[in-house]
Amino acid sequence: MDRTILEVQNLSGGYGDLIIVRNISLSVYNGNTVSITGRNGVGKTTLMRLISGSLPLTSGKVNFLGNSIAEVPEHKRFNLGMSYAPQERIVFDNLSVKDNLTLHYLETDLDRYSNLFENFPRLRERLGQRAGTLSGGEKKLLSFTRAIAEPSNLVLLDEPTEGVQSDNIELMAQVICSQKSQGRGFLVVDQNLTFLESITDTIHLLDHGEQVYKTDNKRFRGEIETRISI
Amino acid sequence: MEVFVTFLLNLIYISATLALIALGLAMVFGLLGVMNMAHGEFVMLGAYSVYVVQLAGQHFLWAIPVAIVICVMVGWLMEWLVVRHLYSRPFDTLLATWGVAILIRKGVEVIFTRDYKSVNQVMPGTIDLLGVSYPAYRLLLVALIIVLFVALFTWYQKSKAGLKIRAMVQGPELAAAVGIDTARLSRLTFIIGVSTAGLAGVLLAPLVRVEPYIGLDYLMSSFFILIVGGLGTLEGLLIGSTVIGGTDAIVSTVFDKTAGYMSVLLISILFLWLRPDGIFYRR
Repeated sequence: MDRTILEVQNLSGGYGDLIIVRNISLSVYNGNTVSITGRNGVGKTTLMRLISGSLPLTSGKVNFLGNSIAEVPEHKRFNLGMSYAPQERIVFDNLSVKDNLTLHYLETDLDRYSNLFENFPRLRERLGQRAGTLSGGEKKLLSFTRAIAEPSNLVLLDEPTEGVQSDNIELMAQVICSQKSQGRGFLVVDQNLTFLESITDTIHLLDHGEQVYKTDNKRFRGEIETRISI
Repeated sequence: MEVFVTFLLNLIYISATLALIALGLAMVFGLLGVMNMAHGEFVMLGAYSVYVVQLAGQHFLWAIPVAIVICVMVGWLMEWLVVRHLYSRPFDTLLATWGVAILIRKGVEVIFTRDYKSVNQVMPGTIDLLGVSYPAYRLLLVALIIVLFVALFTWYQKSKAGLKIRAMVQGPELAAAVGIDTARLSRLTFIIGVSTAGLAGVLLAPLVRVEPYIGLDYLMSSFFILIVGGLGTLEGLLIGSTVIGGTDAIVSTVFDKTAGYMSVLLISILFLWLRPDGIFYRR
């Protein structure tokens, strides 16, 4: 059953009058991962912020589970079933790791994290610590864990592997694949093509804010590398 | 010895009341980045609540809920109409809230005229403490302020709402991404801030003159406290109140009221010049 979770049509937007991303269309089905890659500064993060609602659209449509969410404020998208792990300012530095994981729930227990803690035991060891004392890679793991454990249909991950150790990157890919098999959709921005190849169903290549290439082929590494190096 | 104890009690009393007055301004500026120039007007509204309640022949304590209701309503309206459009634009909030301050002052002037209103003493008499007899109401006031600070601080550190406010202050975008309604939370913070100012007005009403322009004095002294103490920490607020209150008390006793006021101004200027972040500041 291919149900469309997220449908983006001809989306454009940026910061005020400055349009960064132009005319992007993509669809995420349940159980699928759609990836976005490209060089630094081509608008990948801006695209994620437009979809998550932290930036307003200039034009285009964003439908989530069949309804337009262009006017829905960011915090309500969480309630609709959209999780978002941003690229920067990814954790609350002043709060403890535990508070980072529980502040958005009514109950403060960590049951929902028990499986994820098996993969990333480091986080469980550091529950009482301030999140600001974690390394960059550990913060990424915390942000990833927080987003994955949310009861959402779609998870937006912006550069989840940045600064993360390679064995943990493999674990992240395993977690994503097992979540996909349970029907969740993923939209992932990353530059680690090995990681992307292990999780992706459809990949979009961006340049200068526009889509320049798209493929459903699972072996895209060579093609993307040639196109990026041009 | 007795002189010393009296001085010490005065110092505690002045610092505590100053801290209470500055608390709301510190909250609203420290957490939301809004310089609320109408802060003193909420103190004034609180003081007028006491006047109105006593005019209606009711007990002083009724002024507390009355003042809170008025401050919540005015604060809600002010946030909704003006402030929420100006978050992250500190200079604009300064001008806009100054406009609101004038509006509130003039509104009160229209209803109550510019005359001084007298508020009846609630707890006359003195209490003997360490060999000195000290006004009972002042001691009660200090106790109430300590209780209020402890309660508010505990709420901020331990409650879910406090946790969410701390998260929002640190990362408004991430807070929204995890489903926190930052617009509503900001409004709540603003309203709590101005309500503490109203509460300060109620508690201070029996000790001060009540007229439409008292807010200005409170705004100024709150500013000086934040300049000296630094923004965003409770320690800063308490230290700032003690420094400002202490200087004022000492210099006023030795010379006169004008010299006291001038010394406060001088200290604030020195701090702005040499240590613009205050004694404590949040990185």
